[in-house]
Amino acid sequence: MAQRKPHKWGMIVDIDKCTGCQACVVACQAENNVQLNTEDRFHERRPIEWIHIQRYWEVPEEYRSRPEDAPFQDIKARFLPVLCQHCENAPCEPVCPVYATYHNDQGLNVQVYNRCVGTRYCANNCPYQVRFFNYWEPVWPDRMRNQLNPDVTVRSRGIMEKCSFCIQRLRRGERQVEAAEGGELNDRALAEGNFAPACVQACPTGSLIFGDYTDPDGQLSQYVAVDEDTNEKVLKDDRAYQLLKNIGTEPNVIYLKKIDPRRTGEGGHG
Amino acid sequence: MKVTRRNFLKWAGVSALGAVACNVFPDSEMQIQSPVDIPEDLVRGRDTWYATLCGECPEREGVLVRVMEGRAKKVRGNPLYRTNAGKQSVRCDGALQSLYHPDRLSGPMRRTGSRREGTYAPISWDEAMNTIASRLGGLRSSGNSSAMMMITGPMRGHQAVVVDRFASAYGGSYLGLDIMGDSVLRATSSEVFGQTNLPSFDLENSTYLLSFGADFLSTWLSPVQLSRGFGNLRSHEHGGVRGSFVHIGARYSATAASADEWIPIRPGMEGVVALSMAHAIVSGPDGGTASNMAGGASRDDLLAALDPFSAEHIVDPSNPWYVGVPESIRGETAAHMIERIAAEFAASRAPLAIGGGEAAAHTNGASNMTAVYLLNYLTGSVGGRIGDGGVVFNPAPPLEELELSYSMGNMDNWDEAASNLRGGQLQALMVCGANPAYTLPNSTGFANALDSAPDNTLVVSFSSFMDDTAQRADLVLPVRSGLEDWGDDVPDPGPGFQTLGFQQPVVNPLPDLDPRSFPDLLLALSGDLGLDDGLPDTFYGVLRDAAQRLFDAGRGTPLLIEGEDHPNMLTFPAFWNMLLERGGWEDREATAGADAPAPPDLQQIAAQHSRPRYHGPAGGNIFHLVPFLHNSILDGRGAHLPWLQAAPDPLTTVTWQTWVEINAHRAREMGLQEGDVVSIVSNVGDIEAVVYPHPALPPDVVGIPVGQGHLPGVEYATRDGEVRGGNILSLLSPQKTDPDGGLAWASTQVRVTPTGRNIRVSKFEGIVTAFPIGTEHEDPVQVTGG
Repeated sequence: MAQRKPHKWGMIVDIDKCTGCQACVVACQAENNVQLNTEDRFHERRPIEWIHIQRYWEVPEEYRSRPEDAPFQDIKARFLPVLCQHCENAPCEPVCPVYATYHNDQGLNVQVYNRCVGTRYCANNCPYQVRFFNYWEPVWPDRMRNQLNPDVTVRSRGIMEKCSFCIQRLRRGERQVEAAEGGELNDRALAEGNFAPACVQACPTGSLIFGDYTDPDGQLSQYVAVDEDTNEKVLKDDRAYQLLKNIGTEPNVIYLKKIDPRRTGEGGHG
Repeated sequence: MKVTRRNFLKWAGVSALGAVACNVFPDSEMQIQSPVDIPEDLVRGRDTWYATLCGECPEREGVLVRVMEGRAKKVRGNPLYRTNAGKQSVRCDGALQSLYHPDRLSGPMRRTGSRREGTYAPISWDEAMNTIASRLGGLRSSGNSSAMMMITGPMRGHQAVVVDRFASAYGGSYLGLDIMGDSVLRATSSEVFGQTNLPSFDLENSTYLLSFGADFLSTWLSPVQLSRGFGNLRSHEHGGVRGSFVHIGARYSATAASADEWIPIRPGMEGVVALSMAHAIVSGPDGGTASNMAGGASRDDLLAALDPFSAEHIVDPSNPWYVGVPESIRGETAAHMIERIAAEFAASRAPLAIGGGEAAAHTNGASNMTAVYLLNYLTGSVGGRIGDGGVVFNPAPPLEELELSYSMGNMDNWDEAASNLRGGQLQALMVCGANPAYTLPNSTGFANALDSAPDNTLVVSFSSFMDDTAQRADLVLPVRSGLEDWGDDVPDPGPGFQTLGFQQPVVNPLPDLDPRSFPDLLLALSGDLGLDDGLPDTFYGVLRDAAQRLFDAGRGTPLLIEGEDHPNMLTFPAFWNMLLERGGWEDREATAGADAPAPPDLQQIAAQHSRPRYHGPAGGNIFHLVPFLHNSILDGRGAHLPWLQAAPDPLTTVTWQTWVEINAHRAREMGLQEGDVVSIVSNVGDIEAVVYPHPALPPDVVGIPVGQGHLPGVEYATRDGEVRGGNILSLLSPQKTDPDGGLAWASTQVRVTPTGRNIRVSKFEGIVTAFPIGTEHEDPVQVTGG
């Protein structure tokens, strides 16, 4: 196997543009052979959505302690697309007894399905709730199996799965673009060659941006810089933040804050 | 060298050392564990992406479909297609599940029992087509051609031309069915803008957006095109300004949630708020200029005409034009908020006001739409080019025959059709791409009329699935999926210049399926009956002929990559190949006329504005019903697709069920909890739904999604052979919109009554634990004042 070119993949999620439309969710499921989430799966509270939209109700500050009393017209719904954060210090990695999950040299938190023995320690340790366990053998009607993506392993019962940043697309990109002389898997090549993750490709408002943190000309460079000495990410945009930054997981997914012009100052909500 | 055990071990050792020494594997991975590739690293195989059109929703996005070894694997937006520009909706990938659905019919079926008994037997295509030809031939020879009717969904392009020509050449009638469609908007566009085509809304280049009613980020009109524009409106990069967005409407939809501000009002009062904003604009600092653009009346005359709609009046509960808005919203009085927003709107560059959906679906829908779109005249946002922002007019379609003459059916049409079915005057009914037995309200009696149609009436459903209409048909003929068939489309609204999207078969039907192309079947029937439709024998021929005429016209090009040179087309075959490869044709020079039409008379509009009429039962626990198209399964056309059923509703996150959104305070007062099953009763029917207490919904409104409640027959659309959820369309009051006579689907009132049962709500919310809310810098959703 040839040495891979250095990349550090990451994603920006601009929640100011997210409308909660679910296009990313279905695009991900179609690309990655995610099992069909039947009604029973929801009742059992075990559907699998590698990327999902969390919806928060924001109440005015004065109603935080008693949100049920907030006037309906003052309540806001906020959408937060959540996927594997591909953490630099991923809490899921050290707890896996069989090294089924590890951090590769491109910033990806990788799940090796054929090593996984299903201890579920990683899901217990993931603060973002983005690891999903196959409690059942996935079932598709025979005819529907024609749609399954041959580039992606179908996970059987007892296996943990999660967002891979559509690694199969990145690998195709490496083979098709970087195998050629001078070929570079940059933003343009990702977009033109169908190599960007399916969710990013689908998002109609452009809320999701995918790229290489080390590409100085890439889209991500306007939000994040990589410190040459420490190799750590430095957030450059005023709106940039990381989910649960305080627990030190160093995610490779960076969020851009929602803008509410009627709000004064900074703040989160509940 | 002889291979001995010793030599073998020696060389094996040397090879292993060499592999490590050559540093074949990345260092970091070596440090963690042994280098094992994941399967995704190793997959090979060639894929091909074909350009075509998506048929899952009326928007018909240009898409690329990934095909490997003859099987469709993935759908994505076609970056060259100007309306969706590479983006897609939640529904696009559904085309794959529709293609490979387990309940797709493999061949034609004939009814063997009584209607609704649901017993069918397979027959051959020849037998099926002979049955139709013989029936239609018989009617025609007895001079009774008008006893034939065709019903399709809202078709465009040459598919619609084929159906239209067939129906007219035969002498029958043809109606389009889109019960929650945009007929009022079209009528208004024609009235206010003098345009037969819908205009484009250039959100991307506007800096202030007012939307009235329309859930345009989910389902209204052209949601991917509008969502893409919305994303750009929100871009800081775009002219350095983040565009503002205010939503006015009765329901807290995903669109309302995405707005900076939301003004909740009583359903049907959107036009009053628009006129109030017009009043504020005319009385503002630039009011003189604005009044010049609104019919030439003097400012004083305009102010007098608009005075009943002043913000102060419409927020006063004792005033006849009270819009039902709360006294204060986020600490600001409603009157001040309306005036402030109007002033901000008027002072912005290229502001844009749009409206539709529930705002148009009232008895006063046309009044509402006229008042809303008039705001664009007051701010000079009408008739520019793409790039100017505001309302951009679209040119006529590139080919004359694509200016369609068929009409969408209104309530009178459907009442008449049902009555003719019952009475035996309608003797042949052919349905394709529509499900009238499901989507037409009970008040039309259409489904019952199908059940009780005389035996000599021939009902043909061109459908790949045993949907609610197919289960009442005499013949069910499976048609090709959009990914297996030819086609074309003029996007409506278009991108501001002439364009024609081309659809090509990207896969062949599976070997065990034998669907046929619907336009091909009609063309064959036309030949058998000796009709003069003036079209080639095959649908492929129709499209080739159209492309030839585009080629001969010597203008426009197949879709070009940005910056690409105009290709030097020497031959038609090369032109045709490029059309299919790129997914369409466009002529960027062919835009609508540069002159903006004369502004409408604002005084007259204000004088003629009407109030909505509601219709519902009397008594307690009465709510305004706001039905809405389901975010993914729309009006039920995607109910058989598990990805779309399982895609959570953006706000409630409910899946697979019919829920009713009730204000959380009001639910508490009524003793209702999440999961309580309630009966929703109108004057014409009732259904059951599960309660979702909604924190942000007005207390006098209930919201219920359309799309569930199908007859058992197709997997996923039903649950274990039972009806899944309820069909809210069935209980809508038969009130009409004016002037088109469509269904005023947002004018129904309902009573909500607990049944005493409670079931678990099938929702995503709560399945993954929400992030804890702590100090503000640790919060998951961080908000800045901008």
